[in-house]
Amino acid sequence: MSVDKGKKSINRLDSMRPLRAKVNETYLKSLEAIQAGKPAVWGMLNFYYGDPILKAMDVEVVYPENYGAIAAAMGVAQQYLDRADADGFPTHLCGYSLTTLGYASRMMRELDGQIPPEAPLGGMPRPLFLMSSAAICDARYKWFQSLGRYMDAPVWTLEAPSPGVNEFFIDGYYDRMVDMGVKHLRDFVSFVEGMVGRKMDWDRLGETADLMIEINRVWHEVNELRKAKPCPMHSRDFWSAMPAALFLAGDLEDSLKLYSDMYREVKDRVDSHTGAIAEEKYRLVFAELPPWHSLNFFDKLAERGWNFVVESFGYRPPIPVDLSDISDPLERITRFNLQFFAGYYEDARKQSVLGGAFAYPYLKYAREWRCDGALLHPLISCRSASTHLPYVSNMLMEELQVPSLSIEGDIVDLRLFDPEDALARAEPFEESMSHYKRIRQQKGLDW
Amino acid sequence: MSDGSKGLSKARQIYSDRSLRARELKAEGRRIIGYPCVYVPVEMLTALDLIPYRSCGDIREPVTEADRALPGSFCPIMRNCLDCALKGKDDFLDGVVAIHSSDPQEKTARVWQSYTDYPYFHFIDMPVTVRPEAIEYFTGQLNDLKRTLEAFSGKALTAGKLDDAIKSHNQQRSLVRQLYELTKPSPPLIRGAELVQIVKALMSLPVAEGNDLLTEVMSEVKNRTDGPTKKGTRLLTWGSTLDSVEIMQVFEANSNVVMDDSCGGIRAYRAEVQSSADPLEGLASYYLKEITCARTFRQAELGESRKDYAGDLQSRFGYLKGIIREWQISGVIMLLVRYCDPFAFEMPSLKDYLDSLGVPSTYIEYDYTLGALAPLRTRVEAFLETIS
Repeated sequence: MSVDKGKKSINRLDSMRPLRAKVNETYLKSLEAIQAGKPAVWGMLNFYYGDPILKAMDVEVVYPENYGAIAAAMGVAQQYLDRADADGFPTHLCGYSLTTLGYASRMMRELDGQIPPEAPLGGMPRPLFLMSSAAICDARYKWFQSLGRYMDAPVWTLEAPSPGVNEFFIDGYYDRMVDMGVKHLRDFVSFVEGMVGRKMDWDRLGETADLMIEINRVWHEVNELRKAKPCPMHSRDFWSAMPAALFLAGDLEDSLKLYSDMYREVKDRVDSHTGAIAEEKYRLVFAELPPWHSLNFFDKLAERGWNFVVESFGYRPPIPVDLSDISDPLERITRFNLQFFAGYYEDARKQSVLGGAFAYPYLKYAREWRCDGALLHPLISCRSASTHLPYVSNMLMEELQVPSLSIEGDIVDLRLFDPEDALARAEPFEESMSHYKRIRQQKGLDW
Repeated sequence: MSDGSKGLSKARQIYSDRSLRARELKAEGRRIIGYPCVYVPVEMLTALDLIPYRSCGDIREPVTEADRALPGSFCPIMRNCLDCALKGKDDFLDGVVAIHSSDPQEKTARVWQSYTDYPYFHFIDMPVTVRPEAIEYFTGQLNDLKRTLEAFSGKALTAGKLDDAIKSHNQQRSLVRQLYELTKPSPPLIRGAELVQIVKALMSLPVAEGNDLLTEVMSEVKNRTDGPTKKGTRLLTWGSTLDSVEIMQVFEANSNVVMDDSCGGIRAYRAEVQSSADPLEGLASYYLKEITCARTFRQAELGESRKDYAGDLQSRFGYLKGIIREWQISGVIMLLVRYCDPFAFEMPSLKDYLDSLGVPSTYIEYDYTLGALAPLRTRVEAFLETIS
């Protein structure tokens, strides 16, 4: 397919740009604040659970997971990976964790706690404490525990229930999850108060929680608009816009305004039947972490008429839930966090899909966003984002006759993702998508 | 057993044909429940007259069927377990109880449940900390298990039955510890490979039969004349799972393995369930706090606001100090099953701890296949040469 020179193959949203810029600005402002004496916390992505506590207490958080991606993209990760290897960490561990461990080793053992000069974006300053999370995978709490080799920073591990699809509906189950979540969070507040030496402002926490919930509601609605044909917003805009909501970046009132602006722009596109690409031939769902370092790969696919209309369960906002009658902000936060993981369970049980929080959403996405295919991106050193993909592939084929294309990559070893090879597989996959479109239609499915 | 074998030969026989006794019991009308991890509270199964049967991998079995459900870069043991299930090797099971003891256990459980059709399947969620609210939550999880087991078995799980089962399993834990006492002499009275066979047999039998087996084995071993010979090194193996004689024989070619701290060795037997007003609470506390698997997040002090590395290591590995002293360990093999993240993260820290005790150690990784034996042998020989 030919595209006019100078014309972008993906029609990016204008409203995405301030959201993307906000994340970078927030990071740099945090660094400035930390350099001026504010305490820093290293945090693990925790899905709206620990972050609102730190936000309300005005604690600056840096996320080594994100920093690992930055270090990889900027070409400095290898030296940290080598250090972690030399320190005895197995090389098949999560690439982000090895990057952080190598970074900490260099900072603490070679530079006496100073930020390594080669570290991109000003580096990660020495933390007051570490906030890990049991959500998603084992690495995300074992990794912070392992940092104890290099720094005497206390670790708080946030609990994260992970129910079975059927078990979740046993009487009292959900209430017990809430009960543990609230008690755990209350103790976490006490811990943070002790670490930073000041008390929680509970009114501010309530406001923070409400804004977090509202931002994600609007963000959810933006993504609902993408069910339209042609899809008005490409996954590249999703990935650019999502960190502000997922990490509660910067001023939350401002974020709410920016996501509302995005809603209006996407709605305008729906009303005017404007797609994110010139000619939408195929609608695709993407799972899970994108190749951050090679996102222009999607532009090439857009030139072929591939529109990515839905993606990445782990980055999506929870399905909206009304928590306005819950007076305790800790309970609102806990329920919102649980909604992220368990919000799909009722539907999953009805469909008898037992694959859990990671697998079932893709069935819903493919059906409701009317996808012709799935692009799966298993990652060598991120098993939590890869393990369910064969299951997802089987499920999409068996339930919906939607085929999958699996393209391997990694989160830090950028050589593993070969865009040329991937593009070479695009054409035969188009034949597969067309074939199964006919099958679906024969079976009475409406796309 | 129908052929009347006893003691070590019986353990050997069950190890070689693990489902033999379970199938006999099944034919007698008993119901067999599989469980892939030692964190599953087997006492609750026993109390309801269900036979707990640990679903293990088989290192001799090439993984073929699991490829359609799990990626290659994934815990090889869980891939192997699932593979066995998908090939119908566990077709005598009436159900499975799985648990969120690690990410691979959780992910495999979901696939397992989806791709099989047992009459009963229950997934227990498990917190990672030992905080009070976590134990309370875990107690609730066990209460849910109780409810579904009662519905499945058609029997009530009374406190009395559960207490009796706890006593029987505690007795087994005590007997296993006594068995491991027999490795304290030099030379030890029993081989590591025999211990692997015995522990795997215990996880394939009703608890009472397992206790009888242990009694027979100890009597036989104390009077045997064909025990192990003394070798230059007394090894402790540490890792997630060591459930294969083939692996143990690699270690024992030139050493005496006198302690196996894995869930194919002593790990599930080191401590006992304490009596408690609420037996489920006692079980929750035991399983979450007392089984020293790397999956649990431990600290010197709950919610500590200060941390020092030495105290941290003591809270995670301190139990090994007494073992090293009492069993006169002269070397440690830290055995990692590839892609086992909880244990992989521990390796440098455990080495730091062992260094602080002056005990030489080495970290060896394998992928739970027979093909891994040759490189494993090379690594072990090199380590033994180094420390001798």
